[in-house]
Amino acid sequence: MNSVSEECNELKNSYDKCFNEWFSLKFLKGEKSDKMCAELFEKYQQCVKNAMKNQNISIEDVEQFQLGSEQEKKAPPKK
Amino acid sequence: MRVWTSEHIFDHPWETVTKAAWRKYPNPMNPAVIGTDVIEREVKDGILHSHRLVSSKWYFPSWARKIIGSANVCYASEWSQVDPANRLMTLKTRNLTFGRFISWDEQMSYNPHPTDPDKTLLRQEAVISVQGVPLTSYIEEMLTSRVSANASKGRLAIEWVISKLDAEVKEIKHEVKEFTSHARKSTDDFIKTAKLSLDNLSAKTEGQHQ
Repeated sequence: MNSVSEECNELKNSYDKCFNEWFSLKFLKGEKSDKMCAELFEKYQQCVKNAMKNQNISIEDVEQFQLGSEQEKKAPPKK
Repeated sequence: MRVWTSEHIFDHPWETVTKAAWRKYPNPMNPAVIGTDVIEREVKDGILHSHRLVSSKWYFPSWARKIIGSANVCYASEWSQVDPANRLMTLKTRNLTFGRFISWDEQMSYNPHPTDPDKTLLRQEAVISVQGVPLTSYIEEMLTSRVSANASKGRLAIEWVISKLDAEVKEIKHEVKEFTSHARKSTDDFIKTAKLSLDNLSAKTEGQHQ
């Protein structure tokens, strides 16, 4: 699966692999700590946040009622 | 406004279905979903909270595109919680793109089946509201039928992922069996060869002493 930006694909795939393992083998068996993939997640998350900023994808106001408001959600500019 | 609801039973335990839900994309049934990204994630009081950005390529009929515009990629925000102690997974998705005209909210919940703990019940609901543009009713109808079609594909996708995971486990078991049998054969051969050498050595030594 791809990321919102190609640059983050590898980081995403490494993190997803770790997460899926943690979810099946640890979390579902009662483990509450999410430290196992923390390092991978930090790098991946940083990449995603930068990519979203570069592509003008904003999610901060997603919980607000959007219809009819000035917070118009536009499609990102074409590359 | 349109409200669409659906219920479906998976013939698999809740843990299997939730594992598959995280591995749902990419799959051949939902090619429109082109990206999923985790924006935030943490475990709080034993519950896994995640916030994801879902990127999709939606193709709307040209009459609709003339009204709402077109977008290269459509984005949606998905919030989810997984509570393994109570075996409950819930997801809420809202569109980000076309937010000025379209409000599209979807909710999904995965619970164990009320009477069969080895099965999983999926409940889905979508509320679609369009305003500020002409032909709102037609657009709402079009979007609702898309939701319904995608939901069917999504359920098939979960089954597809579960089969894939089963196949992976079987493949690993088969490989371990093959390796063990090969290792055993190699060990047997080694022992045979070693014995032969010892017998030869013994025969030679006896010959020398005579």
